Amino acid sequence: MKLLRRWMPAPIGALLYKELLEAWRDRRALFTAITFALLFPAMITAVTVFMVKVKAENDSRVAVLGGGQVPLLIQQLSGGRLLVDQLDEGDPAQLLAGDYDLVLQVGEDFARDYSAFAMPRLYLYVDGASKDAGRARSQLLERLAPLQQQIVQQRAIARGVAPQLFSPWRIEVRDVSTPSERGQLILASVPALLIMTLFVASLATAVDASAGERERLSLESLLMQPLPAWQVVLAKTLAVASMGWLGGLLAVGALALLIPVMPLAELGIQQSSSLADLVTMGLLLLPLALMVAVVQLLLALGSRSFKDAQMRLSILQVAPLFVLMALDMSQVQLDKPAWQLVPLVGQQQWLKALLVGEAVSLPMLLAGSLVTLLMVGGFVAIGGRALRREALLAAA
Amino acid sequence: MIEVQSLRKQFGGRLVLRDLSFTLPDGRITALLGANGAGKTTCLRIVTGLLRADAGCVRVGGIDVARDPLAARRLLGVVGDREGLYERLSVREYLALFAQMQGLRGAQLSQSLEAVRAELELEDLWERRTLGFSQGERMKVSLARALVHRPRHLILDEPTRGLDVLAARLLRRTLLRLRDSGTSIVFSSHVMSEVLELADRVLVMAAGRLVGDDEPRALMAGCGCDNLEDTFVALAYGRAVDAARGEAL
Repeated sequence: MKLLRRWMPAPIGALLYKELLEAWRDRRALFTAITFALLFPAMITAVTVFMVKVKAENDSRVAVLGGGQVPLLIQQLSGGRLLVDQLDEGDPAQLLAGDYDLVLQVGEDFARDYSAFAMPRLYLYVDGASKDAGRARSQLLERLAPLQQQIVQQRAIARGVAPQLFSPWRIEVRDVSTPSERGQLILASVPALLIMTLFVASLATAVDASAGERERLSLESLLMQPLPAWQVVLAKTLAVASMGWLGGLLAVGALALLIPVMPLAELGIQQSSSLADLVTMGLLLLPLALMVAVVQLLLALGSRSFKDAQMRLSILQVAPLFVLMALDMSQVQLDKPAWQLVPLVGQQQWLKALLVGEAVSLPMLLAGSLVTLLMVGGFVAIGGRALRREALLAAA
Repeated sequence: MIEVQSLRKQFGGRLVLRDLSFTLPDGRITALLGANGAGKTTCLRIVTGLLRADAGCVRVGGIDVARDPLAARRLLGVVGDREGLYERLSVREYLALFAQMQGLRGAQLSQSLEAVRAELELEDLWERRTLGFSQGERMKVSLARALVHRPRHLILDEPTRGLDVLAARLLRRTLLRLRDSGTSIVFSSHVMSEVLELADRVLVMAAGRLVGDDEPRALMAGCGCDNLEDTFVALAYGRAVDAARGEAL
């Protein structure tokens, strides 16, 4: 920070040094920034682990009693999400009370009735009170359906009936998504959360440097110094942004550390961000951190009190998350060049692509970042005018 | 010298300053007196360039404050009526910040800091962060901030409010020393004994106007009073009532 003070011209350099000292010595603000930045990647990891666990829980265990009579049926049921055990004997109720989700009992006369086309019985025992019973039952019926249809068709052919008559059409589902695209879907929340980190991490510092300074009656002394009001806003913006950016960088770092330990492969997700991608993610957050900081300062300066400022910024910090999610779910094609020039949206799209190792257009990234920085400049100028408002002093 | 000419200012339709004019010469201490709401703080804020007058002109050392407020502020040292310090900075950091914002660097900066540290007896506080400072300690630091760049003009809005005896004595000593070195000083106060002790000249404001402007003894004689408090009451309240009556008529 002392180097920064030497490098910057005297008045604004000194003020920036002061703002940075104040921001970084505020333990509560620092704690908030670090906590959220580390918490959300940890939560993403936890959610991924949970999803894998749920996937494992989706497997259903089936006990088949009397399965010796129906080897073809047993073969058809085995595999997929059904784990089939053939048992010689057992009480269905006790088996269901144990580890099994379903019990399929083959009737004693199954083989004889089957040969005689007498519709032999299969008894399916379920525990209706179990939350997994419905899912297991559907899985079993789904597995049996093709075999059932195959047998019907064979019988029809044997009697000279064309099998096509039984199926007016056939639907084949083909999943054309790549693992990387599925990764995009699951990791879609991460860019919005990274952007939200900027808002959360810089909130306390923004309130303290604006409404807080006004309420502590130190703003007037500052405004009586021989430096333009826009420089005051700029110094505060840089200090507030430093805290937001710290949060953003920590979150990117935490993601980089946690993504390898996330069981993404088991979910069919291919995550392939390189070190260069991570560095790019950190850098592209900087202009956005500046914009978030200056917007927070403007809102806080326009508030009536410290509490009012806190409330305004608390609302502001969740707003981008909703806007970005709404845009994501809408039919708007956000990957078009024009959208990449829009602050927040551009950064979200780039982060999304970089997270799954896809290429980002460097000229678009630079152009979008430049637009964001130009808006920061505009907001700083507006902030300078706001500091000259007499109402600001009256509020103090 | 600070020159205030025909200042006029209103807030929300309420006239706070009405054709206010006075000059504050170098090497003199001027007390600015007035009842609450008389317009003292507004006047001082216009002098520092924080507020803009609706009409009239303020010159600090010959510089028009409205045209070049930054240049004027380099000539001013100001201690406001309600001031907060930066509680996460030490006194040294705090004073260095304001000295640098006034353009001091290098050896000049170090010398100024050392000088103000000795003058205002700040040795014990120097490396302490200002959180939890007493009112007297806070005033000393505020005064040091206003003096660190050696301004030619010093403005103090109720500087002794809340000070203990020792701090008030130190403040008075400092102001007298600065006056003798040629600094133009103006301060507002409600403590008449302090005004008598310090002020070479007294300005009395009422309802945004100047209703008295003279040396303390001359002002008392002019009102036929034998103490400054009665003189102030006669000028600040008596004429305001008369003025209000006159306007009503």
